[in-house]
Amino acid sequence: MSGENTVREIGHDEFDPYGTLALILIYFAILSVMWVFMYFVEFLGNDLTVLA
Amino acid sequence: MSEQLESGAPTFLDDYPKEAAVVKAALWSSFIALALGAVFGVIQALHRTNILRLIDSTDYYTVLTAHGVLMVVSFTIFFLVGLFTWATVRSFDRGVESIRYTWTWYGLMVAGTLMAVVAILGGFVPQTDISADVLFTFYAPMQAHPLFYGGLTIFVIGTWLAGADWFWSWRAWKAENPDERIPLQAFMVLTTMLMWYIATIGIAIAVVVFLLPWSLGIFDQINPLLTRTLFWFWGHPVVYFWLMPAYLLWYTVLPTISGGRLFSDPLARGVFVLFLLLSTPVGIHHQYVDPGIAEGFKVIAMTNTMFLLLPSLLTAFTVVASVEHGARQRGGTGLFGWLRALPWRDPAFTGMMLAGLMFAAGGFSGMINAGMNINYLIHNTIWVPGHFHLTVGTAVALTFMAATYWLWPQLTNRRLFSRPIALAQVVIWFVGMGLMSNAMHVMGLFGVPRRTAEPQYEGFEFVTSFGSITELRLQLAIGGTLLFISTVLFVSNIALSAGAPKLSGLGKPLSEPLSGAHDSPEILDNLKLWFGIAFVLVVLAYSLPLASIISRGGVLGPGVDPVPMIIEPLGATLEPLVASLQPLLGRLAAVVGGVGA
Repeated sequence: MSGENTVREIGHDEFDPYGTLALILIYFAILSVMWVFMYFVEFLGNDLTVLA
Repeated sequence: MSEQLESGAPTFLDDYPKEAAVVKAALWSSFIALALGAVFGVIQALHRTNILRLIDSTDYYTVLTAHGVLMVVSFTIFFLVGLFTWATVRSFDRGVESIRYTWTWYGLMVAGTLMAVVAILGGFVPQTDISADVLFTFYAPMQAHPLFYGGLTIFVIGTWLAGADWFWSWRAWKAENPDERIPLQAFMVLTTMLMWYIATIGIAIAVVVFLLPWSLGIFDQINPLLTRTLFWFWGHPVVYFWLMPAYLLWYTVLPTISGGRLFSDPLARGVFVLFLLLSTPVGIHHQYVDPGIAEGFKVIAMTNTMFLLLPSLLTAFTVVASVEHGARQRGGTGLFGWLRALPWRDPAFTGMMLAGLMFAAGGFSGMINAGMNINYLIHNTIWVPGHFHLTVGTAVALTFMAATYWLWPQLTNRRLFSRPIALAQVVIWFVGMGLMSNAMHVMGLFGVPRRTAEPQYEGFEFVTSFGSITELRLQLAIGGTLLFISTVLFVSNIALSAGAPKLSGLGKPLSEPLSGAHDSPEILDNLKLWFGIAFVLVVLAYSLPLASIISRGGVLGPGVDPVPMIIEPLGATLEPLVASLQPLLGRLAAVVGGVGA
């Protein structure tokens, strides 16, 4: 089914979601950098807490 | 007199008027809970940041409990039952088997909610002995009035019967369509309910066997660690019970709104099966700092939790790919340029996309929560509410509100009162939550505690790397206020839509997936198999920890005094003790006096 704003129909075989891949890779990169920051700077870099 | 339009499809209301009435009633129950929950939310945000204190700090936990229970039990689950009824009826293309039965489970859920809410609000009236200041995490030693536990029990029974209603529809549909694959939306509903049936075993035992008899005075004491563990047995899968309706909307409605088609029906089915399997055997990751549970069990829970990232990442890929398909069909090009071709002026689309974006951020803080060692950094700090306001508070809540803008006209045959207000509403929610949740995460890293009315200590300063705690508090308060404004805009918009003229042809059919159900193995639809495996995984994950807790403390012990404690009976208990000690003290005094002489 196509919507009212559809310019062209794209079938399953002609669609490669490379834009999605790019966004997911950026997300993974952000996750990795933030994890490294949280673990090495915030977790290991701080003093002992009441819990640790 | 309704204004007739010549074009457009019939709506859900046109096809199933009786079912549409139940769906509307369930959604209204959800929105009333949301509105009340938002009032208690903004009171809290302003109180703990010391900007405006409308209540006494002693009432803070009543407010906190009301906010938590109304939002994550009433708002979310009423929306779920409304949406699932719509999805089941729509995808099987048949009405419910008995509308009286459907109204019965809805009535039970309403009755249960009213009982629990009366018990909670009783906390504001000191003249009564009714209170339930136990927070949403209502395990022992926190003790509520029996009305609270009774209400919860009736509410959960209502959800069980609702699930049975949808399975009943499936049975009837299957008898007429023996060779068909289960329609995707119905598949999502059924797998979610199987997960719910397993998950609620924990809370049913905790409430009916322990907490309710304890609050009635049948037992003097119960095992707090046992009820905590049973609570979290349910307390983690319940987050997926909130989330699965949002996933259903992302998979089946969002692609259509974006102008595209779902990328893969088989992937969507696989994701729901994975959630059925993995949601429950992970609850112990909420108990990393609980003494009394061996570290090994906690490591198993952590491993299972990390596996749960898989279906969420599959969802991120499939949903974004479906939206990209829509953008490219709308003429979008380039590696990122397609994002511009999307219908950002549509509040339903923008709301769901912003909700998904917040969920991606929540995925990160969730990874920190789930790590057994790094969890110590943020455990019991305000980081944790910061996390779940991204997940249930935005990914779920904002998706529900955005989807309502799409669904409501099909349930009422009336257009929305204002689409520009709706668009502003979803953006205000996003900005408000961005501020509030960011402040909560940062404050959590500095050790600011959660669940505290007055986190301002004498002679103690929270040290920040940059900025100040005052600045973060302000951010939290502004964010909380924006969220309240956003809720008011949402509920008013829906309420005012009742005054819009009746139209016909407002139905919006959903697009077919690019890769349909027949591209997936039939075993995916074998619900008995997945239920069996899920059950075995839960037995494996929980039997040893529960046996260990019971063998150490006993089924009903070691007991502790219930909280909140009542001071007067304590005085009464001490009186005979003091009286019995008096002769002894008298003799002691005589002896001491004799020695002195």
